[in-house]
Amino acid sequence: MQHKEIIVHLVSEITNYIMEQSPSRMVISLHNETDGLHLSAMDDIQRSDSELKKMEQDLNPKVRPELSDYYGTMAGTDAISAARLNLIGWQIKHGYVSRTTEGTKVDLWIGSDEYDSKNFSRKKNQ
Amino acid sequence: MNDRNPLFFVVLSIICILSVLAFLTEPPLDVLYGYYNILTHPGRLISDFSSIGGVGAVLLNVSIMGFLGLLVIQLAGVSLSGPTFASIMTIIGFSFFGKTPVNTAPIVFGVYVAAKLAGKSFKNYLIIALFGTAFGPITSYVANIPGLHPLVAILLGLLLGMMVGVLLPSLAIAMLRLHEGYNLYNVGFSCGFLGLFIASLFTAMGMELSIQVEWNTTFSLILTAIIPVVSLVLIIIGISIDGIKKSVTGVRAILKLSGRLPADFTDLVSPGAAMLNAGLLGLAGSIYVMSIGAVFNGPVIGALFTIIGFGTFGKHLKNVWPVVSGILAATLISGKSPTAPGPLLALLFGTTLAPIAGEFGIVPGIIAGFLHLVLVERTAVWHGGLVLYNNGFSGGLVATFIFAISEWIKANIKKR
Repeated sequence: MQHKEIIVHLVSEITNYIMEQSPSRMVISLHNETDGLHLSAMDDIQRSDSELKKMEQDLNPKVRPELSDYYGTMAGTDAISAARLNLIGWQIKHGYVSRTTEGTKVDLWIGSDEYDSKNFSRKKNQ
Repeated sequence: MNDRNPLFFVVLSIICILSVLAFLTEPPLDVLYGYYNILTHPGRLISDFSSIGGVGAVLLNVSIMGFLGLLVIQLAGVSLSGPTFASIMTIIGFSFFGKTPVNTAPIVFGVYVAAKLAGKSFKNYLIIALFGTAFGPITSYVANIPGLHPLVAILLGLLLGMMVGVLLPSLAIAMLRLHEGYNLYNVGFSCGFLGLFIASLFTAMGMELSIQVEWNTTFSLILTAIIPVVSLVLIIIGISIDGIKKSVTGVRAILKLSGRLPADFTDLVSPGAAMLNAGLLGLAGSIYVMSIGAVFNGPVIGALFTIIGFGTFGKHLKNVWPVVSGILAATLISGKSPTAPGPLLALLFGTTLAPIAGEFGIVPGIIAGFLHLVLVERTAVWHGGLVLYNNGFSGGLVATFIFAISEWIKANIKKR
């Protein structure tokens, strides 16, 4: 998938996941760079520890190149059935799930093999 | 080949045992002569290689194909898991009736070319390449066109096979979105769709594409024993990996999954539970075939190997039975014999629709099965038997139909 297409599919799938619990607030933020991107989604749903753990597990599955470019393309294409975070997990470098004061935050990182999110540059005013 | 997972050794053991059996059943020269007949046969649906080449020759073909499939997976650098186990077992199964190394190699190469054109690694399209071998008969059919110089015909066949391979990834990815993973044989759906165009072109050029059924009705102890033995071996290994308690718990966990693509049971639950599940499905399928008095011939064994393969990748007893019931009901209502080639293969391969029962429930599963039988005998004519996964094509149409309606109901009616 092309860069833009991946972003659209990821946003769609993560939105589907968040909307399943009918939040009253949802914020999606994208920081896009040439060699990688950071997608952050926040809502106001308080989730249990086990649910957060399950989310993080699904977002960080085993590396499955034979599945990611084939079945992974289903990410974000079905907005009515239950969302599947593992489809996102195959497309990204890694994902973090954390609790915020209001709800839950999901951070998705994508980049090339050389890309290291620790070196991700974010301008001070962003 | 340094893959140390149990699935790899199970598959390798099956291949080795079948290759030894090939030369134990018949004299080596008979096996080789039979194998020549298989390699030069067009292999369109339904061509039972166990009658075309004999039992020894078909086992030789199966073991060579299984070994080559395993080699491709290893060369791609991918471990055996649910989808790769399903694909290798499907290749082994269809090598009993249609696939040969000669007619499938150009397709795998075509998918490799497509991967390079897209700037990807071959492993990204590995699953499509392995399942894409369903188009094998297109190579051997063109290579056998009468009136053409044999060398020209063979080159044309190889070229067309490769072209089909190049086209497959784009189609398989697009077709997946039509049914959203509710048809397990998605590449079969894609091949059927492409086959429709190719068969129409061939027919327009005046080429003969009528369906002919070559169906072995002779009892063979070896062919009858293969699936029950493989199933029992999978059950024993599955239990020995996880222990009885854990493997039973694992199978229970598998039964709770819908099976919608991509449901890799080896990853979602455990390899041991997935193998136990695969073995149970193979055993259940064997019991059904025996109970209706059908013969274990090439296509029937092929279907059962496919069921076993997808026992690690989407199918389990709970999501399979409603679909099977629907197909059986349609068979009996339409006055067909359950042992006839069409209904029998439809029942075994129709389990491609298992995720519909797993996700939407028993009644939609039965309806899907019923529709599948109605449709599947018609779809074979559409592609002229050039595509081996005819049930995958029909299953894709049924899954798309049911998915579209259920989505519309969810989106509109349930809102009120």
